[in-house]
Amino acid sequence: MADLRINLAGIQSPNPFWLASAPPTNSGYQVQRAFEAGWGGAVWKTLGDPILNVSSRFAAVSFNGQKVAGFNNIELITDRPLEVNLKEIYETKKKFPNHAIIASLMVEPKQEKWHEIVKRVEDVGVDGLELNFGCPHGMAERGMGAASGQVPELVQKQTYWVKEVAKTPVIVKLTPNITDITVTAEAAVEGGADAISMINTINSLAAVDIDTWDTVPHVGGKGAHGGYCGPAVKPIALHMVGECARNPRINVPISGIGGISNWQNAVEFMLMGATGVQVCTAAMHHGFRIVEDMIEGLNNYLDEKGIASVSELVGKSVQKYSDWGDLDLNYKIVARINNDTCINCNKCHIACEDTSHQCIDMLKDESGKGYLKVREEDCVGCNLCSIVCPVDGAIDMVEVKSGLPPMTWNERQAALGILACGVDPVTK
Amino acid sequence: MSEYQDFLQERDRLDFMIQQGYSIKNIIENLSGAFVELENKEGEKETLQILTPDGRKYFSVLLLKQQKTGAL
Repeated sequence: MADLRINLAGIQSPNPFWLASAPPTNSGYQVQRAFEAGWGGAVWKTLGDPILNVSSRFAAVSFNGQKVAGFNNIELITDRPLEVNLKEIYETKKKFPNHAIIASLMVEPKQEKWHEIVKRVEDVGVDGLELNFGCPHGMAERGMGAASGQVPELVQKQTYWVKEVAKTPVIVKLTPNITDITVTAEAAVEGGADAISMINTINSLAAVDIDTWDTVPHVGGKGAHGGYCGPAVKPIALHMVGECARNPRINVPISGIGGISNWQNAVEFMLMGATGVQVCTAAMHHGFRIVEDMIEGLNNYLDEKGIASVSELVGKSVQKYSDWGDLDLNYKIVARINNDTCINCNKCHIACEDTSHQCIDMLKDESGKGYLKVREEDCVGCNLCSIVCPVDGAIDMVEVKSGLPPMTWNERQAALGILACGVDPVTK
Repeated sequence: MSEYQDFLQERDRLDFMIQQGYSIKNIIENLSGAFVELENKEGEKETLQILTPDGRKYFSVLLLKQQKTGAL
């Protein structure tokens, strides 16, 4: 049995699976149910001045029969008074002292507002704070959430105000609705953040009903943009985690969020630099008990790899995540079709012929039976054929030696620059 | 003819020039591809237009080798 405990900037939890601040962590009843199911921590649904919500609130994007490939919501922060939430946080922490409870907070960008809520929340025994600088809808129209999270100076200043009074670790939750998330991440670090979490939801409109012409969701025939999450956003989140993890100026732990649906996704985020993960959509889709499979799967994975502690995974893939200009231009892979496995559906041929590099030939053997063959010299190793192939193992992407030494774009451009300057690098 | 065959021709032309004692003196890259300017010790100049991406990788490797060792 591997050690699944994590310590994120001083916040300890029995495993790396936390529920993200969202509808599943709206009340003590829910968080206690989650802890009973096995979740290691919960970020309480954002506390602030109680808001008013609308009906309806959620929409999902299904794709080719997969329900909830993406999830969209227009629900705001808590609509319950602070005292009610604090009482339930206190009771929950008392019942589950070894589980992490982090309070998500959002108030107007005023020093006294942050000081007040931090003090009141810490008084009931939370393990940490998460500053919600990411909620993209509703609250952003009032200058909070993503509206302040998109301005590095506001991120830095508000983090600093919180750190002036906070006694527990401060996590800054970042919005992905920005060109370069490392800019706001750096601002959080400069403000004194103990950790950062990402990503909050992405501005979205789930759909338009082509019969009624209403937006999905709609509120009495009118819609507004929401926040997108779920499996569809995982690649975006993973990239942002990786960008922050490999930035030397962002030297604080990361709590990974965004489409994490199973233990494999959690491993990916941890390998890319996250100390732990937060989950929402998968729990909303399947219930709290999905954490049982997550814990079991992660434990088995670690045992099979001979890894004693889950913390050993953190950041192991970060060095492999680089810039395009540092990739080897002379590394070459090609597609190979296994004709014993191939079902001759021709999807690879069509994809290659129509949209890639026209290097899969449809041939016939001596008996007249059709088969597919890759002209490897013309294959650029794009992967498209193996991506569209419906049969596992029918197409392998294999490395072939180019016969040339490794050479990156940056090295090439430097060599061209030297040539243009007329400098002889050997004699110099 | 496949692009690979075009590349093989470009590679052969580059190799031939190097074997003849030419070295790369200048490279101009523009919308029409790359123009590799070569010169031998007698001061004779030749220019090869390279159109394929593999050809552009290949002369880049030659250039790096030339800069590293002073010879091809």
